[in-house]
Amino acid sequence: MKKVVYLFSLLVLSALLLAGCAVAQPAAPAADTGAPSAEGDVTLTYMASQGWIKDAELELAKKFEAETGIHIDYQIIPADQYFSVLKTKLNSGEATDIFGGQSGKTDLQVQYDVEKNAVDLSDEEWVARHDPLSLEMVSLNDKVYGAEIWDTIASNYFIVVYNKDIFVEQGLSVPTTYAEFKDVCLALKDAGISPLYEPISDGWHHVLWFPMVGPRFEELNPGLAEQLNKNEVKFADVPVMVEAMTQLKELYDLGCFGDNALSDAFSDANAKLASGEFAMAVTTLTAPISIETDYPDTPAQTFGFFPMPLADNMLAPAHPAGPSKFIYAGSPHIEEAKQYLAFLTAPENLQYLLDNTPDFAALNFSGLQAKWTPEQQEFLDAYPAKSIVYQDAVNYLNPQWMDIGKDMVAMFTGAMTPEDVLKSIDQRRADMAKTANDPAWAE
Amino acid sequence: MRSRAYPFYFAGGALALYLLFYVLPSVMGFYYAFTDWNSYSSEVNFIGLENFKLIFSAGAGQNYMHFVRNTVIFTVATILLKTAIALGLAVLLTNGIRHLAYFHRVVMYLPAVLPMLVVSLVFKSILNPATGLLNTFLRSVGLDFMAQRWLVDVNWALPSVIGVDTWRGIGYIMVILIAGLQAIPKDFYEAAAIDGASAFASFRRITLPLMMPVLTVTTVLNLLYGLKVFDIVFVLTNGGPGRATDTVYTAIFDEFSKGRYGVATTLSTLLFLIMIILGYFVIRLMHREAEE
Repeated sequence: MKKVVYLFSLLVLSALLLAGCAVAQPAAPAADTGAPSAEGDVTLTYMASQGWIKDAELELAKKFEAETGIHIDYQIIPADQYFSVLKTKLNSGEATDIFGGQSGKTDLQVQYDVEKNAVDLSDEEWVARHDPLSLEMVSLNDKVYGAEIWDTIASNYFIVVYNKDIFVEQGLSVPTTYAEFKDVCLALKDAGISPLYEPISDGWHHVLWFPMVGPRFEELNPGLAEQLNKNEVKFADVPVMVEAMTQLKELYDLGCFGDNALSDAFSDANAKLASGEFAMAVTTLTAPISIETDYPDTPAQTFGFFPMPLADNMLAPAHPAGPSKFIYAGSPHIEEAKQYLAFLTAPENLQYLLDNTPDFAALNFSGLQAKWTPEQQEFLDAYPAKSIVYQDAVNYLNPQWMDIGKDMVAMFTGAMTPEDVLKSIDQRRADMAKTANDPAWAE
Repeated sequence: MRSRAYPFYFAGGALALYLLFYVLPSVMGFYYAFTDWNSYSSEVNFIGLENFKLIFSAGAGQNYMHFVRNTVIFTVATILLKTAIALGLAVLLTNGIRHLAYFHRVVMYLPAVLPMLVVSLVFKSILNPATGLLNTFLRSVGLDFMAQRWLVDVNWALPSVIGVDTWRGIGYIMVILIAGLQAIPKDFYEAAAIDGASAFASFRRITLPLMMPVLTVTTVLNLLYGLKVFDIVFVLTNGGPGRATDTVYTAIFDEFSKGRYGVATTLSTLLFLIMIILGYFVIRLMHREAEE
C-alpha cells in the first residue's frame, strides 16, 4: 500500500513539474518583441519608469504607427528599480532608442551623462514652443537634450491641500505665516481633528517640506542657489535653512502630523482627506480631482490650497523638472526617434494628451488650452512663482533625496539636530561633487 | 597520494570553474575595496586605505560603526534567543509532548518555510502602531501601556526586528536540535535516572555536552546569518526610523544604490573578514568545550 502511495505522489509531483515547465516555455520568445518585424519596418524601443507614460500617449503612439509605420515598443520598469536599470543599460551601451529620465542639470550630467549618451535636439522645431523653464531643465551647456512633455504645475507643485469646510467650522483662516500655521494646527488638534497628514514611512514625502521652500530661501537670500552651486556657501551656514528645518521638527513635536506619522503611507493621503479625519495634507493641485473620482461624496471644491509655510513661505513651488524623453546616442534609429518626438509635440497631439490625461491641467508648451479648476486658478493667482524649487536649482540635492529623508526621521526621533541634517546634506553634496570632478569642489 | 583512484588533474575542470567563478571574484572584491570605483566615472583609481578610513571615522556623514554595532547586537541577540528557545522546544517535542508531537514540530517549523518577504510584510502590518493586530489586541484586553510604536520607535525598532527574526528562525534551529537529541542514546538517561539524577542534572550532564557539536553548527549558522542580515531589516524598517536599525548589509545596499561601489565593496570585505575570524573562534571555542 505504501509503495502505491509513494508512486502516486511521485507521479503527481512529476506532472506538476512538467506543468510548470510547460507554462514557462511560451514566455521566452515574448522577450524579443523589440526586434524589427519581418517587413523591415522600424521598431523604436522606449524605456520609462512606471507612471511616466500616460494612456493618451499610448493612443498617440498607435496613431504614429498608423501614419509612419514606425512601431513603438514600450518597456515600463517599476519606479524603484528604474534608475539602476537605466544606468546599467547606459553604462553597458545597451540603452533603448528612447529613454525616459528625470530632468535637471545634476541628473543630466551625473546620472545620464547626456553629452555622451543622448542626441543633441537643439535644432528641433518644438524647442521654440517648449516652456523656457522646462527647456533649461533638459539642457546642458546650452544644448537641448530632451523633451519634457509634462504638466509641471498641477502634477509637480506639492502644496498644502486643506479642507475648506473644516476650516470654516473651526473658524480658521488660511495661514500667511509659519506662526499662523502653527496656531491653525494647534487649534485643529484641540478640536480633536488631526491637523496634517504627513506620511513619513514612504521615506520621500516629508523631504518635500525642505527643498520645496527653496523659492523662499532665494527670496530672502538672492543668488543663494548659485552660491551653493559654486560651493561658496553651505546649507548649514544659511540661517533661514536652519530655521525652516527647526520649524519642521517643531511641527512634528507638537503632534501636527498626527499620532502615527512615522507609519503613515502616502497612498492613504486621499482617503484621509476625504474622510475628514485629517484637515490638511501636502499633495498636488490635482489631488482634489482624484479624491472626487474615488470618493464621490467629497467634491473637489471642498479643498483649497496654500504653499508650505516654513520660514513664512508664501510662494508657489515652481518645479519645472519632470520625466523627460531622451534619444540614445547609440541608437540605430535616431531620425525615427526624432520623428516620434516631433509627432508627440505637434500642437494637436499635445492638446489630445492634455485633454485625455486626468492628472494634467496644463502642459509646458505654448499655444495649448489649459483646464484649470477655479480653486487651482485661485492658488495660481494668489501665490506667485518667483524662482524654482531647490531640488531643481541646487546641484547634488535631488539624488540624495531618500538620504535626507532618513536624516529627517533621525531628527524627528531626536537622534540628529536640524543642524546635523543640513551638515549631512553638505557632506553628501561634497562626496558627489568630488566623484563628478566638479571644479567648484576641487581642493 | 598513490592510493587515490584518479590523478589530481581529473579535478582540473571543476577547479578551473571554481577558481574562475568563486576565488577570482572574491580576490577582485578585495582589490576594489582599495579603489574609488563608482557609477559616475568609468575610471577606477587606486586610493589605498581611504575607504577603510572613511568607515572607521565617525564623521559628519554615515556613522558606519553604528551599523556594525547594530549588526553585532542583532547577531548576539538572535543567537541567544533562537538557541535557547529552540533547545527548549526541541527537548519538549522530543521527550515532553507525546500527543501530536510531529504536528507541533511542523507548526513550529512553518515560519521557516515562508519567504522572508512575506513574513516581514505580515509583521509590518501586525506591528503597525495604530491599526496593527498586536496593539489592537493589547488595547482590547486593557494592556494599553504595553502597546508600543514597535517599528517606528527608536528604542523598540531593533528589538522588534530581533523578535520577528527569532520567531521565524527558531523552527529551523529546532529541527536541527531535534535530530541531535534523537541521536543521544536513551541508555544514558536511564542510567542517570537509576543513579537518582534529576531532570535538570541529566539535561546539564548528558544532553548539553552531547549536543555541543550540534549547537556548534547552529551557532555558526546563526552567526553567519546574523552578520549578513538584510532582507528582514530592509522590509520591516528599511533601516529606520532614521538610521536606528541599519545593519552592515543594508548599508552596503545603500552604498551600491548610491553608486559608491568602492565603499560598498570595502564594507563587504570587512564583514567577510569579521565572519571568518568570528566563525573560526566560535568553532574552536565550542570544540574545546565539547572535548572538556
